Amino acid sequence: MNKYKIADLTVTMSPMHSPLLPQSETYLWHGEEEPVCHIALTERAKAWYAEHYHTNDESLMEYMETGAIFYQKLLEHQGFLLHASAVCVDHKAYLFSAPSGTGKSTHTSLYLQNFRNRAYIINDDKPAIRNLNGTFYAYGTPWSGKTRLNRNVSVPIQGIAFLSRSETNDIRRMSDIEAVSSILSQTIRPRNKLLAELLLERIDEFVKKVPIYSLSCNMQPNAAILSYEVMSKGEIK
Amino acid sequence: MKIKEGFLLKQVADHHIVIPVGSVDFDGMITLNETAVFLWELLSAETTFDRMMDAFLEEYQVSREVAERDLAAFLEKLRAAGILDE
Repeated sequence: MNKYKIADLTVTMSPMHSPLLPQSETYLWHGEEEPVCHIALTERAKAWYAEHYHTNDESLMEYMETGAIFYQKLLEHQGFLLHASAVCVDHKAYLFSAPSGTGKSTHTSLYLQNFRNRAYIINDDKPAIRNLNGTFYAYGTPWSGKTRLNRNVSVPIQGIAFLSRSETNDIRRMSDIEAVSSILSQTIRPRNKLLAELLLERIDEFVKKVPIYSLSCNMQPNAAILSYEVMSKGEIK
Repeated sequence: MKIKEGFLLKQVADHHIVIPVGSVDFDGMITLNETAVFLWELLSAETTFDRMMDAFLEEYQVSREVAERDLAAFLEKLRAAGILDE
């Protein structure tokens, strides 16, 4: 059993398979603090996945279940998850969220092309977001999707854009309520009422602090130039 | 009638919103205006149309006709979304 520090939370975990085992290596932690929880794939969980996902693939179950446990725990620690690709440019995080297949990773890869070594991917699939003393940070985690791009860092969030595809590039600020609805559609809604309340509290704080945009764009480099141009100037309240 | 189990009403970003929790077969978010919040809260315990009408008329300066129409419309919305337990 190993100790890890993920999104500034100390946890214990015993990864056995790929991708979790190699992905969690950079999060190994040798500090003295007590872990906030132990993350493991139980027999009961295995049976559930077998039934609902018709799979016996333990490496997949391990990856999904450990992620689910972690992100649920995150709610109890001023955090939540967003289904987004998070890129860091000049020490600020830009998150692009959308349903799967819309082009989040494509958009952030344009950032890498454009900014080269000023930019890197924080988490390409599910950045953990946490409110620490009034500032919202995006974190890398071992659960970063197909491309496996992630770094064990915390970066203050400069802005979030909800992406949709279109012929031309356009970006605008979302109203607060539009932002709430968009975030809810790209996070995991807990089945527990208390955790759901925590999630809503976090979202409330978030939309009041961080600028949230609606970005409709194509896959050309100009799309990234536009989103960066506007989002880098956004004001954090 | 009352609101089904598994709906959470909370104020978020200066709006009153309702989301499903638990194993509720409803995928979305509803926003309620002030009046709707008032009516929603009446439905948090078992109640009847008539009792709601009385509370509505006591709280708001509207005619019986307007109150009846608005209340019926509100209940119909909840019914259509599968939120009402009757």
